[in-house]
Parts: sequence; structure tokens; C-alpha cells
Amino acid sequence: MEALGINLNLFLAQLINFGVIVGLLWVLLYKPVQKILNERTARIEASLREADQVRQQLASAKRDYDAEIARARKEAAEIVAQAQERAKAQEAEILKQARSEADRIREEARAQAEQERSQMLREAKDEIAELVTLTATRVLNAELKATGHDKLIEESLAALGRQN
Amino acid sequence: MEGLNLIATALAIGLAAIGPGIGIGIIVAGALQAMGRNPEMENTLITYMFIGIAFTEALAIFGLVISFMIAFGVIQ
Amino acid sequence: MRFLVITVVLLAVAVASRFFLFSGDPHVEVAAEKLFSIGGFKVTNALFTALVVDIILVVLAWLATRNMQLVPRGLQNVMEIILEALYNLLKNISPKFIDRAWPLVATIFLFVLTANWLGLVPGGSSIGPCMAKEHKETARLALVEEGPKAGSIALIPAAAEKHNPYTTCPEGTSLIPWLRPPSTDLNFTFALGLLSFVFFTYWGFRTLGFGGYLSKFFNLNGIMSFVGIIEFISELIKPVALALRLFGNIFAGEVLIAVLTFLVPLALPMPIYGFELFVGFIQALVFALLTMAFLSIATTGHGDEHHGGESAHGPDASKAH
Repeated sequence: MEALGINLNLFLAQLINFGVIVGLLWVLLYKPVQKILNERTARIEASLREADQVRQQLASAKRDYDAEIARARKEAAEIVAQAQERAKAQEAEILKQARSEADRIREEARAQAEQERSQMLREAKDEIAELVTLTATRVLNAELKATGHDKLIEESLAALGRQN
Repeated sequence: MEGLNLIATALAIGLAAIGPGIGIGIIVAGALQAMGRNPEMENTLITYMFIGIAFTEALAIFGLVISFMIAFGVIQ
Repeated sequence: MRFLVITVVLLAVAVASRFFLFSGDPHVEVAAEKLFSIGGFKVTNALFTALVVDIILVVLAWLATRNMQLVPRGLQNVMEIILEALYNLLKNISPKFIDRAWPLVATIFLFVLTANWLGLVPGGSSIGPCMAKEHKETARLALVEEGPKAGSIALIPAAAEKHNPYTTCPEGTSLIPWLRPPSTDLNFTFALGLLSFVFFTYWGFRTLGFGGYLSKFFNLNGIMSFVGIIEFISELIKPVALALRLFGNIFAGEVLIAVLTFLVPLALPMPIYGFELFVGFIQALVFALLTMAFLSIATTGHGDEHHGGESAHGPDASKAH
């Protein structure tokens, strides 16, 4: 034992020395390091959670935005469709009006033309009758001074009136 | 007596080195095989390999300590 | 090609150094040597180095935690990486007990690692006072001066011992280095082994109950009673094995470096230094790992254990839970 250097005093000294250093390192090294490691873990976890939250927020914002855009687009399409419809209705209305106006104008024109024609015809008939009568009177006056010819004139006038 | 001491010293460590030498070889061979088949277990396997080596090597170290004792006249 | 040139140059340096560099006897001493005494209490160089390790660790811890920041920088970062890696490694073995064992096993790792590497500091084992020899060794490693084996190193009986002319210390005294890793002192390794043993036995009793823990070793059900006795013996050997493993590895490394430096002063000890750095690290880690593994085995009931004891199956069995 002596030759191996084993000595109770030295043994106890080493034991106590090691016990002391365990305590010292526990207080000076392991506890602070453990603390900072835990702190860091907590911090990282919090950061990760935060990042997750931000990502979720971003996703929901994106969703909202998309929904808003879609809604706006739909609305715009609706408005355009409405406008188109209205325009179509207006167009139809205008067309109808125009057509009826045109009809009216045409009708009026036709009526006027008819009227003018009939007037013209009447005038012409009168004039012709006058002319014929004049002519006939002149002829008859010149050639036939006999009676009975008035009847012939009336007949021809009647025929002329029928012809109209 | 001196000569016998020298022989005893040499025999103590020489004989004690045979078994652990073979044993450590087997341990490392097994560990390497396991690592080759299962590379993702490497860290755990290395830890246990060293524990196994330590156990095996202890026998050689006993022999070594005995040979030191004989050599330095602790046991005569 | 370059590799070849470097190898040849290193070999040449190694061979040449053998002829013009001489050293004193390699310093090989199983027991730690007395440096000074305080009130009758002998302070050995191993104890002195343990105090140095204390100071180094406390200063490092203070520097690392002095200005803690959420974004680590410098020494704080290094410490955090080391401790976190160690924590995760040990957590693998016994997730249930890691937080209870953490201060002990982490200190074992840091202390033993610092101690082991302190022994490799150049000059650490060659600077110190010259002191009169405490006790006569029966034999020691020394330079053979006469006869056919002159110049080589051998075990020389104390009676035949001659003074080495290359030693700086006067005759009758020997050099006591200031630094000697506590891991090469059996007092320290046994103290550590005992501490580890008390720790895992305490938690074994605490977890399984007094009777429950004892029934792992002493029971009366057939063949298991014999297995229990064997386990009891292997349980008692655990702290001894822990202590001797650490002592043997580090002391053997020191002896190897001392003898190699004595035989070939330059170039050859270089790779050995690298290897000893690795061994020092592995031994520190293994001590912590084994303490954790033994704790895991001790706190596992008999019913669900595959006769762990000192076998590589132990940790596996406890890992299954």
C-alpha cells in the first residue's frame, strides 16, 4: 500500500477536493449554462410560435384579399352585365321609338300623299270635266245646235266620274 | 530473482493483453458491422462500443497494473 | 513524395538525437511524491496538480459564465458545445437519471480530462525541485552504464544503482515534478471510483428500495442465487475497475512517453503525444459514461434486467426502457 502511494490522508484530501470542485462547478458552470440553454430554448420556441402566427395571419390576410378581389370582380361583372342589360333595354326602347316614329312619319307621309293625290285627282277631274264640258260645249255649239246632245254630255261625264 | 521479476513483469502484461486484444477486435468489428447496416444509429453505437471497449480493456489494465507492481517491487 | 521526404527527415532526426541528446533517468514512480508538507500533512504533486486543475476549471467556468449572452460567443460557446454534447451523450444511456447525475458525471469528465491533458504539457513532468529520496526502491528504471547493455534502459536493483551523469539533481536526490496528473495517483482514482460507487449504489437503494436492491444479489430462487453472488462480486469490483482503468491507462501513457523520450529524444514521441491526447479524452469520457451506465444498471430492477454486471449488455438492457 505504501509503495503504491495509497495513504488515507491523501485519499480523503482528493475526495474532499473533488467534492468541492463538483459543488463549485455546479454553482459556477452547470446552473448558469443550464439556465441560458433553457432560456434559449424558450426563446426559440416563442419565436417559432410567433413565426407560425405571422404565417397564419399572412395566410388569412391573403385569403381575405383573394376573397375581396373575387367579390370585387364579381361585382364589377354584375355591374357590367346590368349596364349591358340596361343598355340593351334602352337600345330596344330607342329602336322601338324610332320604329314607331318612322312608322308614324311614313304613315303621315302616306296619308299626306294620299290626300294630295286624291286632291289632285279631284282637281284634275274637275278640270277635265270642265275642259271636256268646255270642249264639248264648244264643239256642240258649233256643229249641233240641236237639243238632245245635253244627254250625251251628261253620259260621258258620268262615265268619266265612274272612271275615277 | 531479478530475472524472474522481469519474466513475471513481461508475462503479466503479455498474457493479459491477449484476451482483451481479441475482445476489442470483436467489439469493434461488431460495432462497425452494425454501423454499416444502420448508419443513423452511429452515435449511439459508438457510445456503447466505447463502454464495451472500456470493460474489455479493464482486464488488460489489471495485467498492466500487476506488471507495474512487480516491476517496481510493490509485490515481490 | 513529400510525405516520404518528411518521414525520412523525421527518422534521421530521431536517430541523430539518440547520439547528441541525453536525458536523466526516466521519471517513473507509481506513488505520487511529496512536494512539501503543511503542518505534518504531506502535499504530493498529484494533490498539488489537483488543486491546479481546480483553479483552471473554476477560472474557465468563471470566464465562460461571466457575461452570459443569449447568442453565445467565444468561451461561452465552447463550454456550451462541450456540455451540451456530453449531456446528450449521457442522456442516451439513462434519460431518467441524467439530471440527478449531471453535476457529478460532468465534473468527472471535465476534471479527469483537464488532469489527463495537464500531464502532457511539455515540462509538466520534468520541472520541479530536487528532493531527497523518501524511501528506497528495490529497483527502478535507469540507464545501464556498464556491461554489454550499456546505454539501454533496464530495471536496476537499488543496490547497484549509479548516479546518472545527465541528471540535473545532485546525487542522492531525485527530481520531483510539480505537475503529475491526479489520474496517475491511486488515491485520486480510488476516491473517484468510490464516489461513483456510492452514488450509483445510493440511487439503486433509493429507486428499488432497500430489499429490492439487495435482492438483486441475495435471493433464493434456484440458479439466480448463484448469479446474484457473482453479480455481487462484480458489483464490488466496479469501483476498483474504474479506478485501475483510469490509473493504468494514464500512468502507462506517462511511462511510455518518459521511456520513449529517454530512448529517442526527438520525433518518435510525437505521435505518442497525439495518441495520449486521445487516450486522455477517451478515459475521461469512459469514466463518465461508465458511472452513468452503472447508475442505469443499479436502478433497473432484477425482473427486467439481463444480468448486466460488468458486461457490455448492461447499458443495452437498461436502454430498453
